[in-house]
Amino acid sequence: MARKLRKLLAGVTVNERYGNRMELVTDGQRAVSTLVVLKSSGFEHLSNITCVDWIDENRMDVTYNLWSYTHRLHAVIKAQTHRDAPEVSTALDIWPQAQVYEREIHEMFGVEFTGNPDLSPLFLHNWRDIPPLRKDFDTEEYSRRAYGVVDGVEEAGV
Amino acid sequence: MSDFYEVTKIAETDKYATYDFFFGPNHPGMHGNFGYVCDVVGSTITRVRVNAGQLHRGFEKLMEQNLWFQNISLIPRICVPDPDPNEVAYCTAVERLMGIEIPIRAKFLRSLTLEMSRMTSLLMGMGALGAMMGLYSIMYRMMNERDRVLDFFEWLTGARIYHIYNLPGGVRRDLPEGFAAKLESLLDDMEYNLREWDSLLFENPVVHRRLKGIGKISADEAVNYGLVGPNLRATGFTADVRKDDPYAAYPFLDFHIITTEGGDALARAVQVRKEYEAAIQLIRKILEAMPGGEFKVYLGNPLKFTVPAGDTYARVESSKGEYGYYVVSNGGLKPYRISVRGPSLPAGLSLCHKHLPGMRIDDVAIWMASFSVCPPDFDR
Repeated sequence: MARKLRKLLAGVTVNERYGNRMELVTDGQRAVSTLVVLKSSGFEHLSNITCVDWIDENRMDVTYNLWSYTHRLHAVIKAQTHRDAPEVSTALDIWPQAQVYEREIHEMFGVEFTGNPDLSPLFLHNWRDIPPLRKDFDTEEYSRRAYGVVDGVEEAGV
Repeated sequence: MSDFYEVTKIAETDKYATYDFFFGPNHPGMHGNFGYVCDVVGSTITRVRVNAGQLHRGFEKLMEQNLWFQNISLIPRICVPDPDPNEVAYCTAVERLMGIEIPIRAKFLRSLTLEMSRMTSLLMGMGALGAMMGLYSIMYRMMNERDRVLDFFEWLTGARIYHIYNLPGGVRRDLPEGFAAKLESLLDDMEYNLREWDSLLFENPVVHRRLKGIGKISADEAVNYGLVGPNLRATGFTADVRKDDPYAAYPFLDFHIITTEGGDALARAVQVRKEYEAAIQLIRKILEAMPGGEFKVYLGNPLKFTVPAGDTYARVESSKGEYGYYVVSNGGLKPYRISVRGPSLPAGLSLCHKHLPGMRIDDVAIWMASFSVCPPDFDR
């Protein structure tokens, strides 16, 4: 399978690992065409879409986990984008539930999915800070800023 | 103060008015603080929006701030009715990254807790389905049955709901003395009670007429939408993570994938009943084939525990279908990133936009219970 995919997908790195698992590394522009090829090669099931923020390398990896019921193979596709302006085309036309995953990633990481009509906030209310799952978002600092610091109370009798 | 009807009215023509209807976050038919906002005309839904976020606890961010072993106490809380698949998926991912194999007895003990957890979750699901149709006595009877399994969890792990039993490297405790024999007699009892569930729920003509045709979906569409587990198998599609991508002790066990034709709420209810029966039989097989030996490998000081850099996606078949953990490590003391794939997301957040419009208000709870939508696993 890996050999077949290498032939079909020019410019995409295909690595085999952990027995029945494959890793495909591509970029934001080629992500959707890679997914289309994979779906037609038997990877029917989209397990999830997620994102990993590699802050030291200034890179965001939008990661798709696929499963093939036909070949019993797992494929992880990593679409590497630039961290300053992360942008990937939408996979909404391939799998309808991709819309929700993309909406979540847009909210939590600030990745732009071109072609997705509805990227409105899903979980967060009135969020005005940087996307919270990015590595440079500090939860403790945010809670101090947003809710203030309460001085410690001395317990009676201590 | 304006009239209640005026407050929720959002549009009006000379023939009819459209009202906003909040199904949840506080509603007897809703499991967890999640909600649908429906536009209704009369009692028919015309449009639905998802009202998520009240349940969001930031698990994925929290997990990045904890040590590898600390996360074990956090992850079962993602899904309350069925916590063990979380633990096993996380541990499987960590062990795969480390390249270690756990002892065979630990694998069987993991499968045992997974199947017991599946039973408790299916009992809750079947009870909820009955309650959504107004048959509350089924709910009470099944919750009672569920509690009897939880007693065994308490005996084995020390906790009823959040077991925190599976650790990277194996399980926390060995089987107590006399556990297997007592569990066998409980299983006999539960198998006997299936006749009662059949006459109350699964062979009840009222239930059949109520469920038939609700939320019908074909196999192709279900695969495309990413439905998993009983929801997918109720369309006649043969898929099960336990067989396709084996983990724990499932490669050593003899069982078959059960399917049901139909693809509607009735088929899903029948499928869940079949899976419940299969889980009882599978626990018997696990107890029978339980090998001896060690139940964990020691992985060193948990405070200094590190996982080699890399990433992997581990899948477990929960009572609702594929539960996945995508774990990324950079070789440090804490996970770099963990992403959770909850099995309810495709139905709960995506398919609802297609199915709910056109339904009546009283069908929403049945639709949710039949797809076993558990909001905590996507709103996490």
